Amino acid sequence: MNLDYDFMLETLWLALPGILVTFEIALVASAAAVPVGLVLGIIRARRVPLLSQLARVYISFIRGTPLILQIFLVYNSFPSILAVVFARLGVEYNIFNLNPVVYAFIVFSISETAVLAEVFRAAITTVDKSQLEAAYSVGMTAFQGYRRIVIPQAMSAALPSLCNSITDLIKATSLAFTMSVMEITAIAKKQGAMKLSFIEAYLDIFLLYCILIFTVEKVLKILEKRARAYQQA
Amino acid sequence: MLAVTNIHKAFGTNEVLRGVDIMVEKGDVVVLLGASGSGKTTLLRCINFLELADQGHIRVGGIDIAFRDARKKDIHAIRRKISFVFQNYNLFNNKTALENVTEGLIIGRGMPKSQAVRIGKACLDKVGLANKFDSYPGQLSGGQQQRVGIARAVAVNPEVILFDEPTSALDPELIGEVLDVMKRLATEGTTMLIVTHEMSFARDVATKVVFMDEGNVVESGRPKEIFVKPKERRTRQFLQRFLGDSDYAI
Ligand SMILES: Nc1ncnc2c1ncn2[C@@H]1O[C@H](COP(=O)(O)OP(=O)(O)O)[C@@H](O)[C@H]1O
Ligand SMILES: [Mg+2]
Repeated sequence: MNLDYDFMLETLWLALPGILVTFEIALVASAAAVPVGLVLGIIRARRVPLLSQLARVYISFIRGTPLILQIFLVYNSFPSILAVVFARLGVEYNIFNLNPVVYAFIVFSISETAVLAEVFRAAITTVDKSQLEAAYSVGMTAFQGYRRIVIPQAMSAALPSLCNSITDLIKATSLAFTMSVMEITAIAKKQGAMKLSFIEAYLDIFLLYCILIFTVEKVLKILEKRARAYQQA
Repeated sequence: MLAVTNIHKAFGTNEVLRGVDIMVEKGDVVVLLGASGSGKTTLLRCINFLELADQGHIRVGGIDIAFRDARKKDIHAIRRKISFVFQNYNLFNNKTALENVTEGLIIGRGMPKSQAVRIGKACLDKVGLANKFDSYPGQLSGGQQQRVGIARAVAVNPEVILFDEPTSALDPELIGEVLDVMKRLATEGTTMLIVTHEMSFARDVATKVVFMDEGNVVESGRPKEIFVKPKERRTRQFLQRFLGDSDYAI
């Protein structure tokens, strides 16, 4: 097979800024999903009446459907919904000028929240309820017991799954190209289409993700090790 | 100091407490005896609202309330007057020995950190762990962990400390160090309600012994009365099983 190395290098260079968009999406989604997912995880672990059932419906709905379908739904329905809302509120803004990355933020936040809610629920159930009882016994409230004792322990139990889900999220952001978000995949695909050299473009994507994921995993592993220091004992 | 009257608790159809009264005066060391399954743990857990009693009344440190009427803030107020030493220590796994002791002071009671640390160190020193301030529970032996548990319970300066079989999870060679700490507390006049199967400890240290069977208090009195001439047949059978015939008298 003859590869056009010059083209490959050129595309690699062009696609490089796409990493920033990828990070941007992953960061926004995580920033939304960690706190909301934690709250949902606690609601599920404590089986808070009604809220727990609602959370479960949300989680099964999101986790039970393909991400690409959620993307199509949001990308095709949100603009019209937002247009109606804006019109009602009297806001003069053409919704169709909105940067499509906003839809990527919405979709990935929604799906990552569902993933992390389950991660946190599982992690909280690994903390024995006697830890909370001990907190009560020294005059702490349930809220204080969760904040100081249960959640820190749950967090370190959750770290490996948390790291996995973040790398999964980064990989999944490649689907944002379907919303015409100019991240790595979209840029490389566009170049490939222009030159009809798809193989080179895809190899570029492959290479970039390998480097990206490898780096992210290394960084997360280091953070994980630090956070788990107390458990080494 | 602590008075619990007519406490009832059932798990489903299993009636575990059937109208128990228990009274602990200031400075008392009350030892609660009874066979496994007689409801001792449940009684202590109900007193600290770790289980909600179905019926009964509690009076402690100026609070006087029916279990069923206690709202969140009443429960919180009662828990601040009673601390608990657990059978399995239940130390906070993510905290050092010192943090285990200061947590209830700083977070539970809003005490300034410097004061809490001073009290925490004094309490750990008292249980012989002045060299283990920075150790995590996983780095301590069972006996050391339970002594941290006792320091944690003492630090919050409660009206009464509840002990649920504090030495039952320990290897035999570690029991002594924990009992010694408890004896010292007794000498200092700490008010305690202790579930234990350590009969010699009960004989030597208790001011009052209460014998429970099938969710009822069968008999209570001074250790001499209970150990030397128990009135009830069930008490005699229980003591015979634990002490053997030869060991019967003090
Ligand atoms: N959380 C619970 N749920 C159901 N049954 C329980 C629970 N806790 C205790 N029991 C039952 O209550 C009875 C008394 O238990 P417990 O208070 O632990 O006795 P003891 O401490 O004297 O050995 C036992 O039959 C036990 O099975
Ligand atoms: Mg018990």
